[in-house]
Amino acid sequence: MSSEMIIQLNEKPRRTKFTAGDILTWPLIGPFLRWRYSRRVMQAGLLLLTGVFVFDGLVGPVQAPKNLATVSAWVHYRGLVVLALLVAGNLFCMACPFMLPREAGRWLGAKLGVQGNVPKVLRNKWLAALLLVVFFISYEYWDLWASPWLTAWILVGYFLTAMVVDTFFKGAAFCKYVCPLGQFNFFGSLNSPTEIKVRDAETCAACRTKDCIAGNRQTGQRGCELWLFQEKKRGNMDCTFCLDCVYACPHDNIGWQVRLPLQELWFDPRRAGIGRFSQRWDLTALMVVLITAAYLNAFGMITPVYALQQAISDQLNATSELPSLLVIFGVGFFIVPVITLAVTSYASRLLSGRSREPLGLVVRRFTFALVPLGFGVWLAHYAFHFLTGGLTIIPVTQSFLNDVGIFAGQPQWQLGQVVPAGWLFPLQTIFLYLGVFGSLVTGFQIAVHQYRDRHVALRAFIPWAILTILLLLAAFWIMLQPMEMRGTLFIGL
Amino acid sequence: MVTKKQLLLVIFGITLLLVTGCRRGQTSDISDIGLDLSISPDPPTTGPAAVVIQLTDEAGQPLAGAKVELEGNMSHAGMTPVFSQAKEIEPGQYEAPLEFTMGGDWFILVKVTLPDGRQLERQVDVPGVETR
Repeated sequence: MSSEMIIQLNEKPRRTKFTAGDILTWPLIGPFLRWRYSRRVMQAGLLLLTGVFVFDGLVGPVQAPKNLATVSAWVHYRGLVVLALLVAGNLFCMACPFMLPREAGRWLGAKLGVQGNVPKVLRNKWLAALLLVVFFISYEYWDLWASPWLTAWILVGYFLTAMVVDTFFKGAAFCKYVCPLGQFNFFGSLNSPTEIKVRDAETCAACRTKDCIAGNRQTGQRGCELWLFQEKKRGNMDCTFCLDCVYACPHDNIGWQVRLPLQELWFDPRRAGIGRFSQRWDLTALMVVLITAAYLNAFGMITPVYALQQAISDQLNATSELPSLLVIFGVGFFIVPVITLAVTSYASRLLSGRSREPLGLVVRRFTFALVPLGFGVWLAHYAFHFLTGGLTIIPVTQSFLNDVGIFAGQPQWQLGQVVPAGWLFPLQTIFLYLGVFGSLVTGFQIAVHQYRDRHVALRAFIPWAILTILLLLAAFWIMLQPMEMRGTLFIGL
Repeated sequence: MVTKKQLLLVIFGITLLLVTGCRRGQTSDISDIGLDLSISPDPPTTGPAAVVIQLTDEAGQPLAGAKVELEGNMSHAGMTPVFSQAKEIEPGQYEAPLEFTMGGDWFILVKVTLPDGRQLERQVDVPGVETR
């Protein structure tokens, strides 16, 4: 009897036995997640909540601290996402409410017969990186955090875009090539301690149907829409933790498994649906945008930024905030990273003695070493907001319920901090140190795997280590500045 | 049976309502009551501040005997608001302490109960509280 036939005969789940390192085998949560409709239940729950937030954003209080849309989007969503990425994985994509309009778009597109493949020119991360840059500039220019109305319309716009994109394009075009939130989650999940991956490589090798990518014809379960063929999938990039592969696999050979965080960045294998990181300028650009945005987004909240904006506006004789913002973001997103990465890569190549190595390859390979520190800065920033204002959701919800006729008691406006104020700085410091430690280890490991010789690797690593330390100091400088959250008035008139 | 046209009208109406706003939490106003607010120190900085509110009636005369409450909040979400009750220091002039806990853009909601029981609420923006 061939191995293929043996596997076909043993299609019943064989691995429901508890394994500490595989979340899908855990009691209660395991059976729930393995249930094919669990994701729909989570998505529907979040969709309902998002509907409430949109409603409050459009017709609720005009003051941001009193509105569910602004509190949930800018305090809770961001804080919970980074904390979930740190301790678990890409949980938001797993329960993403935008999946439901995507499904509607997919149904509509199929019905109308207008669905096609994503044009080759768009099958990369350039558009997503550009959208992220536009978003971060818009966030500052329109003070999105201070406007429930704009926040609500962003959510509505997101639903519509997801639906329209998936009406016209096959696969998970929106998730893979467009969604800025998804790209942030892919970036963050590179640091996560879990991964969706095969349990037993031999089972996959013997499998002939490859349902995890092709879909399961017997159950009608689709395979991975992001082209992450499990047998060749390495790491979390582009993985939405949708579990489609888990449901499709007839051999129950895919788990949600604990792993060593960051290890996927050390190596540069050819990854299913992605290729090699070191051959992808678009992916490198996406990482650079997200690392740089971690700094710019935090920089936008501290006192010195206003003096800088004022000085730029005076120089440009500007009567609007936009020119100074464009200068700051232009320098921050493009000029500083290009110069910094070019100089560091050149020094790294020089010290390694590999003068024939293309400079671009060094940039593309080592930029990923900065991902952990970038994530650490996001974590320190967003966790700060969540930990200082997490409990404000209680009085805001009470106020909302009272206003819609459901008695919820006197709003407890004194609630705010999740942890004592004295814990905030130590916690932020821990997050930054975790990031810098991760970046140093990753940088050295990338060098070791790139050059094979430890002495050469160490020399090549030195400039990246220096850059990492400088970036840590920059993060500490930002963190130690007094916060000054402005936005409703431009003073440079 | 609801016709397509009726359905479209309902959808249009809901959309119009959402877009134009039928908003909770908007301040209520009695337009003939004058309210002036000043903050010391000026410009405001983080830390304790004194807020003075001057109330005048329809004829522009000081409005004594009102109950004045303040709520200070930042323009962004996630900060605990600060509350204060004002004392009448002379007829029509009320003073309340308020602590600006962080630099940035603030707004103060002034809630006034007039001697005749009428209530008004006004929002006064306090942009650019500087960090001391």
